[in-house]
Parts: sequence; C-alpha cells; structure tokens
Amino acid sequence: MATTAPAPAPVAPAVPRRARRSGTAQDRRTELVLALVAATVLALCAGMLVFVFVKAWPSFEANGLSWFGDGNVDQQIGDIFKSPADPADYVYTIGALPLIVGTFLTTAAAVVLGLVFSLFTAIFIVEFAPAWLNRILEPVVRLLAAVPSVVYGLIGILVLVPFVAENLISTERKESVAFVVQLTGASWSVAAVILAVMIVPIMIAIIVDALRAVPKSWTEGAAALGVNRWRVMWTISVRTARPAIIAAVILATARALGEAIMLAMVAGSVGFIPNPFDGLTFFFEPVRPLAAAVVENAEGLSVIPFGQTIYAFAFILLVSSMVLSLGGWLAKRPMRKYGIQS
Amino acid sequence: MTMPDDSADLIVDGAGPPPPIRRLVPGGAPTIVLPPPPGTITAPNGAGGTGPTVERRVSALPAAQVAERMRTEELRIAYGGKEAVKGVSLPVRRGEVLALIGPSGCGKTTLLRSLNRLTELTPTATRTGRIVLDDQDVDTLEVTDLRRRVSMVFQQPNPFPMSVFDNVAYALREQGSRKPRKGALMEPVTEALRRAGLLTEVQDNLDHPALRLSGGQQQRLCIARALAADPEVLLLDEPCSALDPKSTATIEELIVRLREEVAIVIVTHNLQQAHRVADKVGFMYLGDLVEYGDGDRIFSAPREERTADYVAGAFG
Repeated sequence: MATTAPAPAPVAPAVPRRARRSGTAQDRRTELVLALVAATVLALCAGMLVFVFVKAWPSFEANGLSWFGDGNVDQQIGDIFKSPADPADYVYTIGALPLIVGTFLTTAAAVVLGLVFSLFTAIFIVEFAPAWLNRILEPVVRLLAAVPSVVYGLIGILVLVPFVAENLISTERKESVAFVVQLTGASWSVAAVILAVMIVPIMIAIIVDALRAVPKSWTEGAAALGVNRWRVMWTISVRTARPAIIAAVILATARALGEAIMLAMVAGSVGFIPNPFDGLTFFFEPVRPLAAAVVENAEGLSVIPFGQTIYAFAFILLVSSMVLSLGGWLAKRPMRKYGIQS
Repeated sequence: MTMPDDSADLIVDGAGPPPPIRRLVPGGAPTIVLPPPPGTITAPNGAGGTGPTVERRVSALPAAQVAERMRTEELRIAYGGKEAVKGVSLPVRRGEVLALIGPSGCGKTTLLRSLNRLTELTPTATRTGRIVLDDQDVDTLEVTDLRRRVSMVFQQPNPFPMSVFDNVAYALREQGSRKPRKGALMEPVTEALRRAGLLTEVQDNLDHPALRLSGGQQQRLCIARALAADPEVLLLDEPCSALDPKSTATIEELIVRLREEVAIVIVTHNLQQAHRVADKVGFMYLGDLVEYGDGDRIFSAPREERTADYVAGAFG
C-alpha cells in the first residue's frame, strides 16, 4: 500500500463541520431505516382503514343512514346470515343502533368509573401512601394490567352475573320487563364494572407517572403558600398532569371499545337498547356491543353479505378510535398556552 | 467560580473538606465602602454583584419601626443523622432585612426553610429547638396557617403554569372555604403586583401565561404571589441567583422597600448584595451561626476570623 502524504492541516476541521451538517453516512442510514419502519406502520394503518371500508361499503350502501337507526338487530343479523346465494338477493337490512348504544354505554360507564378510581388511586400512591404500601401496590397494579381479558370474562360470568341475578334483581323486577327483555344478570352495568377494572391499571400507571413528573418547584411553591397537600395535588399536580390524564382516558377508551371477549360473555348478547326510564331496572338490562357482535359472529364470515356487515361493525369501531385520538389532541391544545406540556 | 482547594486549615471541626465557596470579586478582595450618612440613597451599582465598590442602598429604619416577629432558639436540623444546622438562635425583625451569608451547603437554606416548616417536606429531616412566631411556637400552629404568615420565594423562579392573574390569585383562592369571584380578586391581585413592582409591566396582560415572562419578571411575580396572602415574614432563598444584573437591582430595591411592611430574611451567596440590602447579617459556616450583627459591622469589622476570611474572599 502506498504511503499517502499527511493531510494538510486546514482540511481536518472540515470533517466535523460536514458531520454536523448532515450526519455521518451511518447516521443517514439509520435515519433511512427508521423512516422506512415508521412509514410502514403508517401505511399499514391507512391500508387497513381503506380495506375495511371497501369491504364494509355494500352494507352501508344498501342501508343508507338507516344503518345507524334502530332495528331488531339480532333478528336482522340472522336474516343476513340466511341470505340466498344469488348476489342479487343478498339481504343487507340492518339498524345497528342497539349495538352502537351498547358499545357507548359500556365504554362510557367504564371510563367514567375507571377515571374516578384511577385518578384518586394515583393521587394516593403519589402523595399519601407510605413507601412500603407503594412497594406492594405498584407491582400489583402493573400485574392487573396483564391479566388476559378472558379471565375477567370468566369471573364475570361465573361469579358476578349469578350474584347480580340472585341478589340484586327481584322476581318482580324480572317480571316487570319480561315481555321486552329477559334479565339474566348479564347486563351492561356488570360489563361496565368489569371493563372498568380492566382499564384502571393502565390509567393508574399513566397518571402516576404524570403526577410524579410534575416539577417539584411547583408543588413546593404551592405548599410554601400555605396550601394543604390535597389542594396542592388537586390545583397544581392534577392540573399540570391533565394532558396525561386525557391520554390515559383515550387509551382506556380505545381498550374498552375494542374489548370483545369479556363483553361477549358478560353483557348479555342481546341487541337491546336499555331504557333509562325503567329506573333501577335500566342497569340490569342487557346489551350487545359492536366488538362483541363481531367476535360472536366470526364463524359466519364466509357468507358474503354477512361478512360485509361484520366489516361494517369493525369500521365503526376503527373510526371511533380515530375520532377519539383527534378529540384528545384537540382537548390538549389549549393547555399548551400556559406551558403545560403533553 | 470555584477556587483551588487550599482552605483545609479553615476546617473547624474536621468534618471533611469544606464546600465550594464562591469568590466575591475575581482576582481580589472587594473594596468595602462605609455606609453613607443616614438618609442618603445610593443608586444600584450598575451590574449587581460585579462592581468594584459596594454601597449600602439605604440607611437603617428608626428603631421605633423595628419589631421582632420571629425567633429561633437553639435550632438544630439534621438530615438523617447529618446535622445541617447546629444550634442557631436568631431574631427576625420587621423593619430590618436579615441576610444569611456563607458558603454553599452550610445550612443557610435549611435554616430558612425551617422557618415555615418546609423542611418537613423532606422525610429524613428532623428538628429540635424552638421557632417562635409572634410569641407562639410554630409547632402549635396549623402548618398551612404558618406558611401563609411566613411565605417563601425560591431560588429558581417557579410561577405556576397559569396566567399571571391566576398565579397571584392562587393563594387568595386557596385561603377561604368559598371561592372568591374574579372581580373580587382584581383589587388584591393588582395591589400585590404593585407592591412587587411588576404591575406596570403586566397590567395589560394579566391573562398571559406566567411562564412567558422574563426570568426577572417571573421572580417578581413569585414575590407578588407570596405577598398576595399578606404574610408577616418573607423568606427569600437566593432570589437573584438565576437573574441578570438589571433584574437583580430591581429586586434588591423591592426588598429594601418591602422591609417596612414585612420582616425579610434573604439567603444570598452574593456578599455585595447582602451588603446592599441587609440591615442585619448572619454568617453561617458548616451549620454554625458564626457571627451575627449589623451588616456594616460584619463587613467592615468582623469579630470572627472565619467571617473576616469569608467576607474578604479569602476562603477557597
């Protein structure tokens, strides 16, 4: 190998300068690979949305806006399944409102219940619980987040549902609505309670992290003004952690929306719109959420119009999640003005 | 500015190497100018803390206007066995500014924080000795009540992530059981901002985020926030160390102006600042209150050798 003359001195600093401008070749390669991975994820998401929509379109097209209307949805699903083989005779008629209401009721109740529980638990863990209790509490909370949903469903159907049926629903109450719906104990409120238990751990974990991340100078500053611990927590820490709380709610809602197995086991699987004017009975009425309807009918997908109807359910769930994320982003926006980071 | 460690001979009780010491003026001892005749007010010395001469900003108040508000008696504070404050007895008076000076890590901030029991937020901290506020042991007071009467401003400006108005109104809103309406708060909030010398700068922008203010404005906002609750004692923990010279001068003027209304204790590393604003100075070293007395006397004729070394910038 020929010896090369030593590089002239002025050239040396040029190398780091170029490196600063555009990174080394390796940096650029890394950047490219990461960008490709990210782009793949985005493309998959977009592709899935388009695919599901295309598959679902015949159901939406055939029903128009009445797709979102009320109907005897269990009966309709049966009729679609029994569609004649000729594409011209496919049955599409469906009014999916009971399913949408079922999803909304279970999700909303679970998230509200879960938020209240997780917020106060998180405040307790961060500010009030003694260290030894936290050493037990936090691993348990994280463990709870990892319990498979079918286990919750099993506990629900074997323990909670019979308990509610035997102890909370009187025979008179059952008879009072017997001509409309059967009260078996499997109901939207039981489902919502179990769903809340399922989403609480992840919410606690997120909110605890956020409360811990609140700058100590702020909490100490508030304490130095003669504000008690609870009010410091509430007016400074929780306030500052609002973006994370919103994120936790969105994540939990997405989880609740998509939960299928447990809901299929516990919610009653009856396409029924619970009537708030029934008083207490309202809470014992069954529902059939969208995700449960999807998983319960998975074996019938080979029937083309039936499959398309199921795809339509899935599309509604998908869009709900996206709208949710957008809503969270919009809700966080005004907070940035005062310097609260998300 | 840290200096080479050649101060081992100054360790009094052999408790390890002394903490780093900030030197007064790079390259030489400061020139101390004796106080001007009573009544003269000297302008701040341009760049606060770096000028070659140090002058008292204002003369002491007449004795009739000076009244004791707080007192520590044999105060000892330890963090898990390591004693940070070793038996300090000290009066805090309205009408006087008390400056605590000394190297870092010598217990000044701990002493300051104990005055409104903020040390209790540190789980390992233990305290013995009495702290008295208006003849009442502070341990007999509700801690929230004590902190309302003895308010604290921190080293780093820490305005809450809210509007300017909400920052100042914070303590007022949290005081009562019923939330006062915004209209009712406008007057005390503007008054507090006026006392902190910030009103003219923010009065048109009370809804602006407090974190968008400059550092000096943020610190004056924190002072306004503390003043809003009408405290009797104001504790300032190196309030100017994160600020530029101009903001420092503004805050020093403010401190001197406020001393007629509230008792002020200020911890500072800046000896010139201590000399400019303080009527009384306490020099702390390794947890001991080495010397306490009139500011002028401490700087011109310290009795203790350690004080003399420190104010002459000879430490470190």
